[in-house]
Amino acid sequence: MTETGNEPPIDPRLLELLVCPLTKGPLRYDRLRNELVSDQAGLAYPIRDGIPVMLVDEARRLREDEAIPPELRAERDEDDR
Amino acid sequence: MRPMTDPVRPFDRRLLRLRRERAAPRLRTGSFLHEEIAARLLERLAEIRRPLPRVLELAAACPRLTAGLAAREGTELVLRLDNVPALLAGSGPAVVAEEELLPFGADRFDAVLGIMSLHKVNDLPGTLAQIRYCLKPDGLLLAAFPGGGTLRELREVLLLAELECLGGAAPRVAPFVDLADAAALLQRAGFALPVADREPITVRYREPLRLLRDLQAMAETGVLAAEARRPLRRTVLMRALELYRERFATEDGRVPATFEILFLTGWKPHPSQPRPLPPGSGEIDLAAHLGRPPGGGQCSRTSGSAGGSKRAANSAQPSRPGARITLRNSK
Repeated sequence: MTETGNEPPIDPRLLELLVCPLTKGPLRYDRLRNELVSDQAGLAYPIRDGIPVMLVDEARRLREDEAIPPELRAERDEDDR
Repeated sequence: MRPMTDPVRPFDRRLLRLRRERAAPRLRTGSFLHEEIAARLLERLAEIRRPLPRVLELAAACPRLTAGLAAREGTELVLRLDNVPALLAGSGPAVVAEEELLPFGADRFDAVLGIMSLHKVNDLPGTLAQIRYCLKPDGLLLAAFPGGGTLRELREVLLLAELECLGGAAPRVAPFVDLADAAALLQRAGFALPVADREPITVRYREPLRLLRDLQAMAETGVLAAEARRPLRRTVLMRALELYRERFATEDGRVPATFEILFLTGWKPHPSQPRPLPPGSGEIDLAAHLGRPPGGGQCSRTSGSAGGSKRAANSAQPSRPGARITLRNSK
């Protein structure tokens, strides 16, 4: 949490509302990097000052080993809960 | 040949973002035109009695609108969306995103509202479809943006000045959606009970240059894709301002600028909404009411049309003697 210690937290209600703008698929909240990750699109959307920036041209392209393959996504989601 | 405006993507959204970024400090203190449109939108919203707990505000540049929405009874969340972070500073949940690529799942909001947002999206039908997608069933879309004859004075003098000085003209004032098309677009995007209406707002300026300053302050100067490649020359601009005064100045020396604001209202379909009965299920014979024998209308199409038999040319008219049209009022 050292990287994001000063970042204001994201409004939890936002996490319920947001999907990837490109694929309309689910997003994964990466607390450590303070990003919203779309595995389907292979993009990570930054959160700046507690505001998600859902612009495709501002998103970070995921490295291949970063994206969670579809067969593992469901498990991972359950782990988060 | 000069590159033409891409008919599919007429607007340069990146340029628009730059303009909004630059205009952010002034926009956030409230432009008079935005405030006026916001006030009219809130008036319309006041006629809708039911609470709208979760509201999405598009192009959230008007603090007055946000405050007005939050003050409504039953509002739990007003989420502000803009494509420029600088416009979202301050308290309250916010998201940076493009209206053309909305980052929301299905059935999330009770209402999507916005002023001065939808006139510069490249794909209006697609944007409306995305708005419908993220609305809950029976959710409300209420949007106000300039359409039709907006800035027609400016459009005219820029065209004239450019023709006069350069012998050719580039598009300067954005194409706007016409009222008739707006309603059709709503329907095409699958909104129920679509309504589009317009309210003209005429602003009277001491100087045409002040209009341009205002447009700049509202980040409403041109963002046409072709325009970026062909900047407006100073001599042309000066001539245009001269023509503006010559052609439009009133007795008191002021010049008018017309804004024709379209208000779009639509609802995401829901079984509780009134709807027309299926064709053929009516009980009143319209032909009998009009006092004409069934199928006795006139057809203006000539019989020589390509491949069209007489039968096909007549297809717009009731083909069965018993065809009826009935509308049912709200249930």
